[in-house]
Amino acid sequence: MSKKRMFLRMITASLLRRRSRMLIALLSIGIGATILAGLVTIYVDVPRQMGAQFRSYGANMVLLPEEGRELNSETLREALGAVPETELVGAAPYRYIRLDMTSRQQSFTAAGTDFGEITKTSPYFSVEGRYPENPREVLVGREIAETIGVKVGSDMELTWQPTVLAGESTPEESRVPGALLSGSAEGFGTGIVYVTAQLDENGAIASVTVNAETQTPEYGGLVAEDEAYLAQFTGKTLPLAPGDTDALTGATVTSEAVVNALNSARKASEDAKPKTLSFSVSGILTTGGEEEGYVFMSLADMENMTGSDHLDVAELSVSAGAEQLEAYAEKITAASDAVRARLVKRVAKSEASVLEKLTALVFLVTLVVLLLTMICVSTTMMAVVSERRREIGLRKALGASDQSIRAEFLGEGLFLGLLGGVMGAILGFVFAQVVSVNVFGSSITFQPLLLPAAVIVSMAIAALSCLAPIRRAVSIDPAIVLKGE
Amino acid sequence: MSLLELKNVSKIYGDLKALDNVSLHVDQGEWVAIMGPSGSGKSTMMNIIGCMDKPTMGEVLLDGVDISKESSKKLTDIRRDKIGLIFQQFHMVNYLTAVENIMVSQYYHSMPDEKEALEALERVGLRERARHLPSQLSGGEQQRVCVARALINHPELILADEPTGNLDEANENIVLDLFAQLHKEGTTLIVVTHDPEVADAAQRTIVLEHGKVAREVINENFGKETKA
Ligand SMILES: Nc1ncnc2c1ncn2[C@@H]1O[C@H](COP(=O)(O)OP(=O)(O)O)[C@@H](O)[C@H]1O
Ligand SMILES: [Mg+2]
Repeated sequence: MSKKRMFLRMITASLLRRRSRMLIALLSIGIGATILAGLVTIYVDVPRQMGAQFRSYGANMVLLPEEGRELNSETLREALGAVPETELVGAAPYRYIRLDMTSRQQSFTAAGTDFGEITKTSPYFSVEGRYPENPREVLVGREIAETIGVKVGSDMELTWQPTVLAGESTPEESRVPGALLSGSAEGFGTGIVYVTAQLDENGAIASVTVNAETQTPEYGGLVAEDEAYLAQFTGKTLPLAPGDTDALTGATVTSEAVVNALNSARKASEDAKPKTLSFSVSGILTTGGEEEGYVFMSLADMENMTGSDHLDVAELSVSAGAEQLEAYAEKITAASDAVRARLVKRVAKSEASVLEKLTALVFLVTLVVLLLTMICVSTTMMAVVSERRREIGLRKALGASDQSIRAEFLGEGLFLGLLGGVMGAILGFVFAQVVSVNVFGSSITFQPLLLPAAVIVSMAIAALSCLAPIRRAVSIDPAIVLKGE
Repeated sequence: MSLLELKNVSKIYGDLKALDNVSLHVDQGEWVAIMGPSGSGKSTMMNIIGCMDKPTMGEVLLDGVDISKESSKKLTDIRRDKIGLIFQQFHMVNYLTAVENIMVSQYYHSMPDEKEALEALERVGLRERARHLPSQLSGGEQQRVCVARALINHPELILADEPTGNLDEANENIVLDLFAQLHKEGTTLIVVTHDPEVADAAQRTIVLEHGKVAREVINENFGKETKA
């Protein structure tokens, strides 16, 4: 048998046949390695986990319309093309309007949104009941629900009072029959044709006046003066269908523009009318924030009420670090001329600072665990040396050099470290998995590098912990074997 | 030829002279017993001869080398190469089997050789107990393993401190027979004992009292009793 094999047989026999104390040492190394391996696994995985976690604290980017441009579902969709789908957790569009609840003489902010996206960008929203799924359902903020006393299942009538944009029809007049409607439409050669219609008390057209200055005088321009042409509108009701009126010969494009202008004038007056719809409350929203003072409805309902698909803002939740996030924001702003992106600094920043603190914490805990493990292994090995004083004395009496004693104890320590490391890598992964599933709600993949790393680290710890016990072992006097004990 | 020579050796612990100016010489192949009451300095002398301790004063020549002033590292080498030790408390590595315990001695000396270790066990009549742990062996069997371990590296000198102190009559006789065989093969034996019967088996008995050699007795009957 070679010396090496005898050496291995001795140190393994010491661990395997003596058990008890060595088991304690093994356990301390194993537990230490488990905690460290688990911690490191979680730590390696944490930026990803944290990203997902922070996404649940709300949006980290908002999209706003550029000055004078329109944000709507379409421009939003275009802008979102700049962010990879896998990184985009959710994008919730919002439009805010004021709604009145006449029956309670209350008015409050209503937000039109996409509830499917809200659950992604604002997972912390807590809903009693459920999110609206059907048309004419609203989600009511808790604050409002308490003020006006509505519950899940209640009905509420909401009224929209439009504010009229300059240049369009005058709502005060258009609301009652006998009103004046004004509208405009593009005619021949991009020239605008302006039309005013006087309605009678039944809402039918009493008379029509046309301003077609922009049109060619000898063709389109003629519609403004052609009495027969204008007279055919009298008694007709808006909107006009194709074929309701005849075009003026030689001025078909301008005639069409007149009809379009009348129809758009009518639509504007309709849109400008206050609109009352009845909604049923599908859920009460608790967020702990200002959202509790809002009523949420689907974008479809809001469009139905206001006649427009305009959006005020979109909140994005993007799974990316601070730098990457900034890059995406720039990309969106550059890619779309209607939309600009801004970061929600609070969330982006706190994510970085929490990560930083976490790093420090993991570092500290690692240090403490290393230290505790070393103390534990060291004291156990110290006790082992005391327990084995006679054996060590015997070995020395049999001719073991200090070097041999050192090698044997170091060998036992390293063997312990090896076993503890393997145990730690496996249990550590299980531990990390349990923590990850319970705390972060997602599983993690096994890092193959974990095994050698855990083994090397625990062997190093074991070796370091054995230094003092080895010194003690070497100092044992072989003469003790001759003393009766 | 002289294997061991003590010249005016003293070992002093504070006020206590554990060994007081002891001079002694042992020839190659001699079988010497050392007797004396408890506390007379027998173990102290064994420690010095066994290269596990150094005298306070005096010279100790082992095989012509003065071991009284050697470094402990050198003493370890000498002990390993020249001396086989047998103790009263047997002292085995308790998690190693009988044969492994013998191989430990080989391991420190040169090369572990299981076959040779088994032969040594055969010689002490424990071949079939080779795979037993010390806890599975009786005291007598353990001591016989220790004898096998002491002779495995063919030492020039076997030092035994009360080797039969914890043994029954039957095992005592087995051990003494083994000593007689070793003696015949030319091994020098120094055996510390309380037991006059054990001392009688030796060629010469040195009696210590208060750290001094009180008297020396030559065994006239040596060699005769074993035949009877
Ligand atoms: N390390 C020591 N320190 C102090 N006194 C010791 C030491 N070793 C032995 N002695 C003392 O030396 C004397 C001789 O001891 P020892 O050689 O063990 O006697 P024996 O083996 O003959 O019984 C005893 O009085 C003992 O107490
Ligand atoms: Mg003694």
